[in-house]
Amino acid sequence: MPTGYSANDLVLLLPEIVLTTGLLVVLVADLFTGRSRQHWLGWLTIGVLVATAVPIVALSGHATTAARGLLAVDGFGAFFKLLFVLAAAITVLISRQYLEVEQARPGEYYFLVLCATLGMMVMAAGIDLITLFIGLETMAVSFYVLTGFLRPNRRSNEAAIKYFVLGAFSLGILLYGMSLVYGLSGTTRLREVAVALATQSDSLALKLAVVLVAAGMAFKIAAVPFHMWAPDVYEGAPTPITAFLSVGSKAASFAMLLRLLLEGLPAMAPEWRGLFYVLAVLSMTVGNIAAITQGNVKRMLAYSSIAHAGYILIGIVTATPRGVTAMLVYLMIYAFMQMGAFGVLALLRRRDVVGDELKDLSGLFFRRPLAAFAMLVFMLSLGGIPPTAGFMGKFWLFSAAIEAGYVWLAVIGVLNSAISLYYYVRVVVFMWMREELESASVHPSPGVAVALTVAVAATIIIGVYPAPLFELAEASAKTLGMAPRVLSLR
Amino acid sequence: MNNAAHFPLLSLILFTPLAGAILLLFVNKRSENAIRWIANIFAAAGFLASLPLWFWYDTKSPAWQFVEKLPWIPSIGAQYFLGVDGFSVLLILLTTMMGVIAVLSSWTAITTRVKEYYVFLLVLQTGMIGAFVSLDFLLFFLFWEVMLVPMYFLIGIWGSDRRLYSAIKFFLYTLAGSVVMLLGILAIYFSYHTMTGVWTFDVTEFQRFNLDRNLQWWVFLAFFLGFAIKVPMFPFHTWLPDAHTDAPTAGSVILAAVLLKMGTYGFIRFSLPILPDASREFVPMIAVLSIIGIVYGALVAMAQRDWKRLVAYSSVSHMALVMLGMFALNPAGLKGSIIQQLNHGISTGALFLIVGIVYERRHTRMISEYTGLSSVMPVYAAVFMFMMLSSIGLPGLNGFVGEFLILQGVFVVSKAWAAVAATGIVLGAAYMLWLYQRTMFGTVENPKNEKLPDLNLREVATFVPLMIMALWIGLYPKPFLDFLDTSVGAVVARVSPQYSGQAVTKQADCPENVAVNKFVLAGCETPAAAPAAPPPPGNVQPAPGSTPPPATPLKTTGGQ
Amino acid sequence: MTPITPAHYLVLSAALFSIGLIGVLVRRNLIVIFMSIELMLNAVNINLVAFSQQWQHVVGQVFALFVVAVAAAEAAIGLGIILAFYRNKETVNVDEITLMRW
Repeated sequence: MPTGYSANDLVLLLPEIVLTTGLLVVLVADLFTGRSRQHWLGWLTIGVLVATAVPIVALSGHATTAARGLLAVDGFGAFFKLLFVLAAAITVLISRQYLEVEQARPGEYYFLVLCATLGMMVMAAGIDLITLFIGLETMAVSFYVLTGFLRPNRRSNEAAIKYFVLGAFSLGILLYGMSLVYGLSGTTRLREVAVALATQSDSLALKLAVVLVAAGMAFKIAAVPFHMWAPDVYEGAPTPITAFLSVGSKAASFAMLLRLLLEGLPAMAPEWRGLFYVLAVLSMTVGNIAAITQGNVKRMLAYSSIAHAGYILIGIVTATPRGVTAMLVYLMIYAFMQMGAFGVLALLRRRDVVGDELKDLSGLFFRRPLAAFAMLVFMLSLGGIPPTAGFMGKFWLFSAAIEAGYVWLAVIGVLNSAISLYYYVRVVVFMWMREELESASVHPSPGVAVALTVAVAATIIIGVYPAPLFELAEASAKTLGMAPRVLSLR
Repeated sequence: MNNAAHFPLLSLILFTPLAGAILLLFVNKRSENAIRWIANIFAAAGFLASLPLWFWYDTKSPAWQFVEKLPWIPSIGAQYFLGVDGFSVLLILLTTMMGVIAVLSSWTAITTRVKEYYVFLLVLQTGMIGAFVSLDFLLFFLFWEVMLVPMYFLIGIWGSDRRLYSAIKFFLYTLAGSVVMLLGILAIYFSYHTMTGVWTFDVTEFQRFNLDRNLQWWVFLAFFLGFAIKVPMFPFHTWLPDAHTDAPTAGSVILAAVLLKMGTYGFIRFSLPILPDASREFVPMIAVLSIIGIVYGALVAMAQRDWKRLVAYSSVSHMALVMLGMFALNPAGLKGSIIQQLNHGISTGALFLIVGIVYERRHTRMISEYTGLSSVMPVYAAVFMFMMLSSIGLPGLNGFVGEFLILQGVFVVSKAWAAVAATGIVLGAAYMLWLYQRTMFGTVENPKNEKLPDLNLREVATFVPLMIMALWIGLYPKPFLDFLDTSVGAVVARVSPQYSGQAVTKQADCPENVAVNKFVLAGCETPAAAPAAPPPPGNVQPAPGSTPPPATPLKTTGGQ
Repeated sequence: MTPITPAHYLVLSAALFSIGLIGVLVRRNLIVIFMSIELMLNAVNINLVAFSQQWQHVVGQVFALFVVAVAAAEAAIGLGIILAFYRNKETVNVDEITLMRW
């Protein structure tokens, strides 16, 4: 292990360094920007994100560690970092119009979005318990504030409280598990943990540690039965933040979970496989069934995102290269379709109209045919109907399950995705087949238009020609440390 | 494999309707007549583009024709792989012809949201053609699912009464079946990889591949769910009457004429040749369900008071007969089954058009609302008479040929089944004649019916091609049967080898890239590649014909 | 006198953790819930320091310092959120958080 930092570290950490500098610039620029020119802050934030993406891409070919082995610089991390930057960019694009309606100051908002992004990047790259924990908290604390950002709004307040209380609670559980892992292995470096624990997989304390870590992370990805915060938080948070939360936070937590399990705890694969098998089945089923009964679209999408967490967990259960690839593919696709769906919802927010009830979508087609078309694409994609990207994602996940021999998991998965179509299609029914609501027309700002166009185009293009994404995900998944070890333990 | 057209003909057929749909997106939604013209022109262009298939298809060659092959998702071995045999050529021609008719028949029937209507209709057309031309299983599945959405909208927006309920019922039913089918596809995919080390969704490879018997059984069930719901077979038929009743006329026509064929196409293209052992084992179950379907469909049809529902239940009965003929698993039964699929498309499609015409004029489908129409609408009554006779299988018209072949095939297998099936056909004649008698004969009792206008020129134009086809198949079915020789022969060679002497068998193409000896390639045992250890006798497919030709490189247009 | 072994620390920490866990689940006052969470984090710290002692290196203590720092940050944020809620609603009782189904 290298004993000190080198100049090389500065190069390897360039994405994080650029982002950190950028978020400070945004914070300072906010102080010197008049109220009339605040929309420039949005574009400045986009600029920071683009500047961050450049070194990420440049470094994506590496397979090394930085900062004395605290952070991995590999394809896996780069894939997720790009995903976060993308999700953050879409969030910023759909936020401006929303914030204007809410009359909220955008400066700190953009700063916090960038902070959360930084936390996510550390979560995806960390290969040390402490680093992962710090990344997680950087993200979580930013989100607590963002969720409650609309201070006069009581729903936003309540959402923040619920998210904060349950987030801190889950952190306690996760940390207790981590402390046991450290105690049993004597190190916080994941790759050394794996070596140290390889011989003591039947220790009771270790099993407890695995359960606690799994439970703590299950809170973060909103898997049943640790999901109860999600619907309330998703409903109460500002819509763009809900989008970012459901995509960025979930993807980052999955990345961290993969690092923890595959790099740190491969010896415990039989235990966590069983745990996540149960969580996956419960999440898919409960999420979908609960979503059917919702009249609020944000709540419905919250339950649907619980179900999606269940689908994605299939990848963890298999723990094969194909399974991990499938998770990467799915999370990327999910980012586009889920962000897109919330982008359309954010459009419906007008003064005096919250715009997130199912009936607010009535006749959207007649007012905004393009927005209705976009929403149709996102709903079909979330439901997994070709030729949209969602189908290709599910295809990978279920094929990974079958390859690994989890046929019943795949059966439950496909039946659930058939059920889910019921409520996705209901949204389409309201938009396309109900009478128009008496209300003012919503004009998408250029930012929203760009974001929705990108999301729709990506959802369709990946659905028709997924080969580039598949290859990228496959190459990225290969770089994840101990994946072959787990495979051999099957 | 070859491509006689030397240019991507199948892609042209496939994407012409889609191009029309995309063009329509850019037309102002208020210029409705322009939209109608564009839709009609593109539907007609699609039909014209498909005509070369009829002339250029080589009925003697057992190979897949008009093949196009391009890499699509190389990392999982999925390809953009199109190709046809005689069976799919006929279904494609049926699809493009019915597409023209459906688009033409909507000219005055659809007055709201015209633009979206035609967009969905054309997208649906692409989906259906895509399913018939795909030889890559994943590509097939993609098109198979693509069909759902436009059909859902057609029923849900332009349907009648309980359209939302019917639309979602149709959607979820078929979806549930197809997602299970996807698992079956994946099972074959992984099993094939385990045996050969090759990742592929190539259907032509799967058709030569002998899957483990136990796995075949499960995969057959998975496919069965997907296809049987689509056919629909009893007891999965309950979505059909609702969907048909509430769909707009063109939707019903497409649904009956083409969408239902997806199920039977799936059985013949995939279940039988890929899962021959399981197919044989499931014959009794399918025969029983089919027989129940034939009789039940006919009896329920007889009890209907709704004209369209009656035709819908007649579909259940007819499609059950198609299934019975297919699972006789002999050349006569299969050929009859395929011919009957065409017949059902023609006759039932026409019957739905016939209901649609009075529905457009009177906005009711109740049989009791109509009496004595023959005196007000003589041309209409004549057309109806013609199509009804075609549907009940009068000799000289198309229905007779198909039913005769099916009964011939079934009779060989079981005389009892044939007897019940024949009863079903008689019942079919009964409800159709009764319907005709109730609506066309007698005096006009309802004053609203007194001034009903007869068919106009456009409406006649929608029926003329159907009547010509009905007569053609009825009087001179030979060209159609010739088309089926090789494709039926290939299926029969796989699923019941004892018949394979009776038909020219499709010669399997021998792939160069497959590790030989792991499984048996029918017709591929050239002396050079002869396995050192002979395969177990149970696996040997009788090599049909004399000496198989050596493997030839693919001639494709797409390049590779 | 029996020496204090790592096992003793672990029992203490487990007890503290359990008290915190139960506190979060049964108490109704937001501030008390928040303090229960702090208890859980302190249980973690005891664990970390005890293990650090056992392994004879400082990694665990570093970890514990990070936990303390993060807990402080969380306290600041959390109390801010609770204060914002109190301004709108004049209560810190979770039973009053009723706008959305809990």
